[in-house]
Amino acid sequence: MKIELSVNGERKEADVWPGESLLFTLREKLGLPGSKNACEQGECGSCSVLLDEKLVCSCLVLTAQAQGHEIVTVEGIAEDDRLHRVQEAFVQTGAVQCGFCTPGLIVATVDLLAHRPEPSDDEIREALSGNLCRCTGYQKIFDAVRLAARA
Amino acid sequence: MDILRPDSLEAARAALKNGSVALAGGTELVPLLRDRIVEADTIVEIRHAVPRGIQGTRIGAGTTLGELEVDPQIPDALREACRLAASPQLRAMGTIGGNLLQATRCWYWRLKYPCWLHGGGRCFAHEGLHREHAVFANAPCASAHPSDVAAALLALGATVRTDRRELPIAELYRLPTGDDRRMTGLEPGELILELEVPMPAASTYLKAMDRKRFAFALVGVAAARSPEGTRLALAGMAPIPWLLEDESALDEATPLPGNAYKLEIARALIRRALVAVAP
Ligand SMILES: Cc1cc2nc3c(=O)[nH]c(=O)nc-3n(C[C@H](O)[C@H](O)[C@H](O)COP(=O)(O)OP(=O)(O)OC[C@H]3O[C@@H](n4cnc5c(N)ncnc54)[C@H](O)[C@@H]3O)c2cc1C
Ligand code: SF4
Ligand code: FES
Ligand code: FES
Repeated sequence: MKIELSVNGERKEADVWPGESLLFTLREKLGLPGSKNACEQGECGSCSVLLDEKLVCSCLVLTAQAQGHEIVTVEGIAEDDRLHRVQEAFVQTGAVQCGFCTPGLIVATVDLLAHRPEPSDDEIREALSGNLCRCTGYQKIFDAVRLAARA
Repeated sequence: MDILRPDSLEAARAALKNGSVALAGGTELVPLLRDRIVEADTIVEIRHAVPRGIQGTRIGAGTTLGELEVDPQIPDALREACRLAASPQLRAMGTIGGNLLQATRCWYWRLKYPCWLHGGGRCFAHEGLHREHAVFANAPCASAHPSDVAAALLALGATVRTDRRELPIAELYRLPTGDDRRMTGLEPGELILELEVPMPAASTYLKAMDRKRFAFALVGVAAARSPEGTRLALAGMAPIPWLLEDESALDEATPLPGNAYKLEIARALIRRALVAVAP
């Protein structure tokens, strides 16, 4: 079936299987591999995108469910050819190791700061609790979020 | 496979025929469809067919956990159960109706072992890994009910309104038997529309998990006090949400070799919960 989507402000069309996840469509059909596929079960958050400004796991959303809604992926976060301040902060603090969790964490942090420009440590923990990282031990991710909040 | 998006309850009811399955947020159903644990020829997206939102003591089945966790008017037990469930991403999509109907997280079942609950003859958890499994009613299937929200609603004495009838939340669930292995008593195509959640004098939900957030309950304890007394209900302790007469009823549990620790946790959480709701 043909589905029309709005991704990062652009209209896109994709031919999808009715049971197909938004993550699969983004990565395999629309050339947007930024959202990562690690578990496909909602357990890691590496596929996080914004759907109508709400943070969701794109592996658990059917592409058909997203029709008529605004999708923002990590590819839509940067402003023109400059990194977003959240991306800049992740680079500067060394919050990226293997990088697999990074796109999801960037989107989750952008979402957090949109609602809480100066989050407390507990609010950061709460907001990022759906994003798992196997490498960093989270400390540098915290540093990145705090730095981005100050920037 | 086909997907339909009816815009009214009538249209949804007409669409929900044999071979179709209702989809609300999809957080539970999408992976089950992908893994072919649920097979359907038609997906019926019910988002525009079931009520969403909170009106006094009535909660639309399409209300998300994310909407509930920040609502100051719902009972504390329900708000806490929603807040401690899953992750922000999942709570943004997952609805309360879908949460009540989620299937077991038993990994043997999710990995499609031909176990008793899948219609086979044995329970792999009994012989194998069962640290997270049930300590009550755990033969022939030891799966633990994963819903924090259902335990809270059970303690609160909520009523479920479907497109056909009203039933106490306790009757939404049934222990599976040899000739009928389903764990809920809904008829095919029956839709949950609303929950009626009476306001208690006090209520709370406490949850023990492997990490501080984003894990299923090893033990969840809901307590609600009303003029008739205080009701306790448990998550993660039986194949269905479990009403507990009082703390001493824990002595009737039948833990497996690897999960008796749950009873110690339950004892501690029950005591704390009773203090929290005491007048
Ligand atoms: C990684 C992970 C962690 C989780 N952790 C927790 C946790 O800690 N605690 C907890 O309580 N839950 C937890 N959950 C469960 C989560 O809360 C549910 O997946 C979610 O609430 C389901 O809602 P949904 O709208 O997405 O349901 P869907 O996936 O759309 O549907 C689920 C089922 O309910 C049926 N259904 C949905 N709505 C209705 C209706 N109105 N009438 C009739 N049938 C309906 C569907 O047909 C389907 O069978 C977790 C889930 C995941 C994936
Ligand atoms: S606990 Fe239930 S679902 Fe898990 S293996 Fe045993 S029978 Fe299957
Ligand atoms: S890939 Fe979606 S949560 Fe892990
Ligand atoms: S940097 Fe490797 S998983 Fe987070």
